[in-house]
Amino acid sequence: MKKLLQNSAFLSLLIALSAIIFGYWLLQNPRSTLAFLLTLGALLAAFMLDIPRWLKVLVGGAILLLVVPMAGFKNSFLFELGVQTGIYAAMALGLNVVVGLAGLLDLGYAAFFAVGAYTWAIFGSKQANQFMPWHIFPLPGAYFYLFMLVAVVMAALTGVVIGSPALRLRGDYLAIVTLGLGEMVRVLANNLDHPVNLTNGPQGITPIQRPPIDWFIGLFDRFGIHMSRAEAYPLFFYFLVLVIIGIVTLVNIRLDRSRFGRAWIAIREDEVAARAMGIPLLPTKLLAFATGASFSGAMGALFAAKQLYVSPESFTLIQSIMILVMVILGGMGSIPGAILGAATVTILNVDLLKTASDYLNDLRNAGFVLDLGIFKYNFANLPNQLEPAKYERMVFGLIMILMMIYRPEGIIPERRHLAEMKEKA
Amino acid sequence: MSEAILEVNEVTKTFGGLVAVNQVTMHVERRRIFAVIGPNGAGKTTFFNLVTGIYKPDTGSIVFDGEAITGRDPAVIAAKGMARTFQNIRLFGSMSALENVMVARHVHTKTSYADALLHTPRYHREEQRARDRAMELLAYMQLDHRAQELAKNLPYGEQRRLEIARALALEPKLLLLDEPAAGMNPQETEDLQRRIVGIRDDLGITIVLIEHDMKLVMSISERIAVLDYGKKILEGTPEEVQNDPRVIEAYLGPGAAEGVQ
Repeated sequence: MKKLLQNSAFLSLLIALSAIIFGYWLLQNPRSTLAFLLTLGALLAAFMLDIPRWLKVLVGGAILLLVVPMAGFKNSFLFELGVQTGIYAAMALGLNVVVGLAGLLDLGYAAFFAVGAYTWAIFGSKQANQFMPWHIFPLPGAYFYLFMLVAVVMAALTGVVIGSPALRLRGDYLAIVTLGLGEMVRVLANNLDHPVNLTNGPQGITPIQRPPIDWFIGLFDRFGIHMSRAEAYPLFFYFLVLVIIGIVTLVNIRLDRSRFGRAWIAIREDEVAARAMGIPLLPTKLLAFATGASFSGAMGALFAAKQLYVSPESFTLIQSIMILVMVILGGMGSIPGAILGAATVTILNVDLLKTASDYLNDLRNAGFVLDLGIFKYNFANLPNQLEPAKYERMVFGLIMILMMIYRPEGIIPERRHLAEMKEKA
Repeated sequence: MSEAILEVNEVTKTFGGLVAVNQVTMHVERRRIFAVIGPNGAGKTTFFNLVTGIYKPDTGSIVFDGEAITGRDPAVIAAKGMARTFQNIRLFGSMSALENVMVARHVHTKTSYADALLHTPRYHREEQRARDRAMELLAYMQLDHRAQELAKNLPYGEQRRLEIARALALEPKLLLLDEPAAGMNPQETEDLQRRIVGIRDDLGITIVLIEHDMKLVMSISERIAVLDYGKKILEGTPEEVQNDPRVIEAYLGPGAAEGVQ
């Protein structure tokens, strides 16, 4: 059996078959969480295991571009899940540059997400009329793409502004200072409704323009698929997120394999030796910080357009910690790890825990009695404090503790980090 | 151009009450092999850290290649052409041997951020050149067969050589070696000795080394400075140093010189 599993042809067949079976099952039962997870499992297996490249691309393409969108038409929650996963994955990839490559512990990462989100929210809504002349706002939705770039620049600049003082510190001190500065951005967003109303304070900004998608609907019309605008937007954002993840991953890989990536890793490993080899400390760290920030900024703009609404509540410390959890869970410095970490946390968060809660609720409402002979329990007596969805943070805490004990290098460890971990052990 | 590549003038460094380096003056001429010796705790490594900018001197000045570098950032000093190795090997353990050497090519590449993202011809050209040069240096230190190995997996002697290869990748004018022979067996030491002379002769690099292996020091150094309790007690040729009672006393304690003679 073991030998069989090492056989590439057999593995390929197994993965192709499971992708087809689970994919078909998901298409038939778009609301089945189990079918969805198994389909993603097939995707992950295709990526991780040793099978020919063309098959990886085929399985990946079929699941991400065909199965999920088609199932999503019947259950648009899948799109919501996909887009949220994508947004977090891109941010995890950004934080991966900062924490994973350069070794700078940043606990204020959500601040850059906020900067990006407000950049489009303010100018893509009537909000900008509050402090700008001409009354031309909201800008037309087509400006969204331009403002994604503006958001990238704004977030990177914020990164430099926050980083310039903070990056003179190291380790725990850096973590605390970034935490404080990150919170400052949220507090600013909360309070900049006077004297000049920039952010509309705690009420947040709504409605925000979305990019126009008539061309997108038209494109599908040509293939005989007719969609209303409300149906098309989730699909559009889903595809947009896939494209952005592709770009962000490419950027990550290219930086990793450049002199900048090497400089970041050198600094992470040994600052003194890195400086003695001619690597300037602060500029190199700032570059990592600004790079990570810019990923977050781009996703912020997308988040604003998708949600139609932003408020300071979306950018709390817990957000920063969640993204850090994704990076650590997946494996610090690892690109597939960051994506997998983001997917795991998001799916657990918005799908699995809720599904488990719903399931328990159903049992309670039905008055289901568990009878094990010596142990009898009527689910009608189950207190509703016991819903898993209410224990989200405890679940993550437990996962993190278990990870730190049994697999501190993460689910998909990066070669270099694994080497470092083993060195210390 | 002045004769001396490194001029250290009356440099002092104190840590709290401890005077680690006390009014040390040292001039190192170009293309020399210059040794700094002294008992443990004499301030030799602190002296290196002052010269390379890791510590800032309390008083005194340091001139490198005709330019004042007192208190400058280590990265700036390194970029000006001063490379070093460390007493307690400080390689980037989780990177391959090749990557370790390539890190030190940083200052010799101009690939911009945009080049790296867009994979412009310049990126490919410079990356290839950095890789080629790194391989050359690995071959020079007879480590080319280890290029893809993680630095931390190399045996001790090879790690020491890799540190030198990495330092050479800076294309330095001055190379500071901090106890390069520490932990090596006699054969490895002899091999190292040839390499150090080779680096000076082939590449024209001035070498300053800290070393406890007196056989190595006496056979390759042209000038030797002796530090004791942070002070320079003597500077001269190997013969002068070997026969000076002050050196024997510094190592063995006061009065020891008479016993020897």
